[in-house]
Amino acid sequence: AMAGVGGGNDFQWCFSQVKGAIDEDVAEADIISTVEFNYSGELLATGDKGGRVVIFQREQESKNRPLSRGEYNVYSTFQSHEPEFDYLKSLEIEEKINKIRWLPQQNAAHFLLSTNDKTIKLWKISERDKRAEGYNLKDEDGRLRDPFRITTLRVPVLMPMDLMVEASPRRIFANAHTYHINSISVNSDHETYLSADDLRINLWHLEITDRSFNIVDIKPANMEELTEVITAAECHPHQCNVFVYSSSKGTIRLCDMRAAALCDRHSKFFEEPEDPSSRSFFSEIISSISDVKFSHSGRYMMTRDYLSVKVWDLNMENRPVETYQVHEYLRSKLCSLYENDCIFDKFECCWNGSDSAIMTGSYNNFFRMFDRNTRRDITLEASRENSKPRAMLKPRKVCTGGKRKKDEISVDSLDFNKKILHTAWHPKENVIAVAATNNLYIFQDKIN
Amino acid sequence: MEYKVEAHRIMSISLGKIYNSRVQRGGIKLHKNLLVSLVLRSARQVYLSDYYAGVCLNAQHIEAKEWELMDADREKLIPASEAAQPSSADCGVSEAAQPGQTRTTGGAQLCLKRHVGAEDGRASRLQEKDGDSLDPSDVAVTSPVSPAISETQCGSSDCETDADAAVTEGDSRQPPKDHACSHRKRSAEETGVSETPVKRTKVTPNAIVANNEIEEGEEMDTSNVSNLITIFGSGFSGLLSKDSAKSESETDDSDSGSGQICCEQMLKNLNPWTTAIVAF
Repeated sequence: AMAGVGGGNDFQWCFSQVKGAIDEDVAEADIISTVEFNYSGELLATGDKGGRVVIFQREQESKNRPLSRGEYNVYSTFQSHEPEFDYLKSLEIEEKINKIRWLPQQNAAHFLLSTNDKTIKLWKISERDKRAEGYNLKDEDGRLRDPFRITTLRVPVLMPMDLMVEASPRRIFANAHTYHINSISVNSDHETYLSADDLRINLWHLEITDRSFNIVDIKPANMEELTEVITAAECHPHQCNVFVYSSSKGTIRLCDMRAAALCDRHSKFFEEPEDPSSRSFFSEIISSISDVKFSHSGRYMMTRDYLSVKVWDLNMENRPVETYQVHEYLRSKLCSLYENDCIFDKFECCWNGSDSAIMTGSYNNFFRMFDRNTRRDITLEASRENSKPRAMLKPRKVCTGGKRKKDEISVDSLDFNKKILHTAWHPKENVIAVAATNNLYIFQDKIN
Repeated sequence: MEYKVEAHRIMSISLGKIYNSRVQRGGIKLHKNLLVSLVLRSARQVYLSDYYAGVCLNAQHIEAKEWELMDADREKLIPASEAAQPSSADCGVSEAAQPGQTRTTGGAQLCLKRHVGAEDGRASRLQEKDGDSLDPSDVAVTSPVSPAISETQCGSSDCETDADAAVTEGDSRQPPKDHACSHRKRSAEETGVSETPVKRTKVTPNAIVANNEIEEGEEMDTSNVSNLITIFGSGFSGLLSKDSAKSESETDDSDSGSGQICCEQMLKNLNPWTTAIVAF
């Protein structure tokens, strides 16, 4: 059936907008590398491989234009990171934005953290819609006036001007990571945040840039003994002393910062025993966790590995409470996916606002949603063909063998260059943002 | 046998990835290379277990026959360890009256010894234990200690097998067949495999060679073979650690050219261990 699957209340996902060039020839710098709604959902930020950040703002719904139901328009664009060169090691540092995380809003300005492989920056995005006019010491062009010529004093007046959105870097947190940063996460205390690279996790204070606390260090004394790396980390949404980090071995460790200054010893250790019957050359690769996300409630967490998404109850360490297969049909293709490097793709996952549904991406511009209550799942596609305004999305199906039905697509026809790695769900509403290479698709639940 | 071909293919692909990662933008990705090294290890284990099983059966059959013949002459033989020089004897006929099991490892043992440079009286001890029969399981087939080293000298597949069967960690029981390996070594050189440069051989199996060259033969830490750095040497680890102040630029220059040559060689040569070395 077409309708209804994919949300707790039978949502019908419809196309809303698509941002980005239509060109077939995609410049690498334009490839979107992270997508994130802010806490209210009013702002949607994307980062790309070229080091740029683009922020979209949702239009206020108005009775005058009922059909433009809260569309997202460009609010601010700025260059967050530039390519750098480490001369000591003769290494280029990519400007690609790995993650963006918003800070909770405390005043009129908006703050976000953006990071590349080595440096984290705190950006302030503020609006300016007034300008002071009538200065005493300089004239309208900005040229200084001769003080001896000034005979009267006046008070400058604020005059309205066209809205200008300015982004300025307020803090730069540099030189704390030897390895590539894969995660940043703002703490619930709104004062600190953590950053994680392959081997270490650091805790920062948002005001202090010249030092950070190292809270996890899994680098072995002898690098020859290295067997696993940190792949993702996140702060607990409510308990500011708790965070988790996932590993390339498919394990998750929950740590309590109250227990010790260095959280090398975990409080909880989550691991599902491996199924020996499914062992292959690539078992280790596909068990590597690419993303970990707490539920909004803080009671669960979700992990993404190459073929599946797992939901874990924080009170149960020995296995997940739910497992969802994203694209199990790829299991027999692992060797080819290893050859073409697709097996190393790092898919992210996200919760909806009420934690009743989860979403993650796949290939061929497909993305998947799972309803945790009804256990139904749906596959949808982000494509220009389905991009008529408010067009309802048709569920897609991959044919895994036997006779291919009409409208199904066979595994061998999937386009592995079209991968959806980054998706985001509005914190309160059923609005989703899906990054397909250089395009950002926004889908909304249809108003009945 | 299909598994063996598949395993070999996966090994080649993995090595290619590791090689390419050195020139990728943004520096070596530790996570990806760790995963690739795990695949490499798995593939190699499959490849070796298959390979060893196939060749060892043959070798043991031949050796067993010869042992029966030579039993009476055992005590008259000069231990190979004391004759560390390659002899010019033809390797075609095996003369040594060692227990069959050590003979299968003979060729490699010689290689190990010669390149590792260890003075080792163990062989003589072994020889004295006439009555002892060496259990095949004594010959550890976990992970070859220095197949890389032995490979570059003894390119033939026979010698490789012996190397694979080598006892780990330099615990080399001396080879009785000095001549066998030397013959292979010479023929290997003639075939041009020696183009693969071995920059330096290690004295101790586990020492990291502080060396910018990435094409040297490295001995493997058999306790954790999955580790990429262990397998492929310091040229890799230098890029990871900020503790290392090595500049890799000259390394990159030097291996970009030779890498091409080595890649071509890799394609021609079926030997995975030579493959392993040439890729770096």
